[in-house]
Amino acid sequence: MLFFKRGRIPGARSWELKTGLGKGYTKVLEQLDENLKDLDLEVKKVEPQTLSDFKPGPDDREEESRYFVRLKGTLAPKEARLCGWRIDNLAALAASLALVVSKQGRSERKELETVIGNKAGRWRALTLMDTFLRSGYLEEDEEGLIKLGWRTRAELDLPSLMTLLAESKAPSVESSEPVDDDQASMEG
Amino acid sequence: MTEKVSRSSGRRELDELIQTCISIENRRFNPFLLDISEALSIIRRHSNKLRTLEDHLLDMRAITSVARVVGLQSADLRFQSSALYVDPSMVKEKLDSLSREQLAEFLLLSWHPIVELEQLTLASTKEAKEFWEKMLSFFERRKRLHLGPFVMPETTDLGELARMRVVEERAYTRKMQDLWRDLKERAGEDQRVDYWDFIGGSDFAQTVVRAQLVSFLVSYGYANLLRKGNNMFLVPKAKPDPHIEGSPLSFPIPITKEVLVRAK
Repeated sequence: MLFFKRGRIPGARSWELKTGLGKGYTKVLEQLDENLKDLDLEVKKVEPQTLSDFKPGPDDREEESRYFVRLKGTLAPKEARLCGWRIDNLAALAASLALVVSKQGRSERKELETVIGNKAGRWRALTLMDTFLRSGYLEEDEEGLIKLGWRTRAELDLPSLMTLLAESKAPSVESSEPVDDDQASMEG
Repeated sequence: MTEKVSRSSGRRELDELIQTCISIENRRFNPFLLDISEALSIIRRHSNKLRTLEDHLLDMRAITSVARVVGLQSADLRFQSSALYVDPSMVKEKLDSLSREQLAEFLLLSWHPIVELEQLTLASTKEAKEFWEKMLSFFERRKRLHLGPFVMPETTDLGELARMRVVEERAYTRKMQDLWRDLKERAGEDQRVDYWDFIGGSDFAQTVVRAQLVSFLVSYGYANLLRKGNNMFLVPKAKPDPHIEGSPLSFPIPITKEVLVRAK
């Protein structure tokens, strides 16, 4: 239930696990988490209010929590490239998330596109924004503002990202060479 | 007359106040740019001049807009006291000054991707079958698009398709065999050729095409790929011998301009 994607969003909701495993499903998940440690994986619970800004009633909050299996450690740049991620896509995602977080979780799309455009090129910024929205890293609310998506809540350690950014120092020589569009491993 | 003028200027002020609040809600300005006591005094100043329903609605909108900004100010204070707080202008500055590599590294250090495996399920297969069965015929669906009379497909030949660049003139297998012959000739007595030397073509596109053909040569057992330290060598075989030697795993080789320049 946790590994195989069954709908648009991977993972399983609390009530699904409860139906499948019984009331003691949290104990089963704890045991699974313990077993997954050897594979450098972990079970991650994402609360409904952090899945999006939509707030269900207080009674069904626990039922709506979603559980995912995610990597416990982190990926090296080489491994990320083998997973189909380009360095400039990762940089663009980091920039968009940092900006949205700094603006308390909501930012204008145009502003984000400008920031991504500075790193990845203007045209690429448009397609990257769509990719991030489609994959769930970002979401667009009814007012057209961009907010953090369910995938960001599930996969990203935002305090760590913001701390790294705040503590960072710019490189002595700015590497702002044009983006190579010819790397072999491409996606999104 | 004076009352009319004062009412219209009051409406303008309330309108401006609402617009400012909307801009703040849309994250264009810091919520603390609005002086709440000043905003409330504007609302209070015009409260005794409200005559029509429109005036009252405007007044109500102004009050709710100010209330939302107060909410944003409160959220802003809570956010500033949280671990996530970094000033937006500082973030922008940092983002401009950091390299792509640095930003990517920060993301990777904070990123724990979800494991998600795609599979066919009984439910999704049933759904797909139902969709297929309920789908209207091609001609029915075409009618809805109002594309005019349907032109029947015509036949064509390989020569025409090759001219249109829909198909290659030489079959892929033939190309592979030509490359295999080339590889055997270049390997000579050493029985091996440096990978990057061999795939290098006249331009980048040609290099990628050769690399793709080479990947098939290796997969189909026409050649072996050997790694020695940082070097890779292609060893041609006298006869194709698929899937006997070596690892059955895929071995992705990213082709970047930097690598090709280094190989030259």
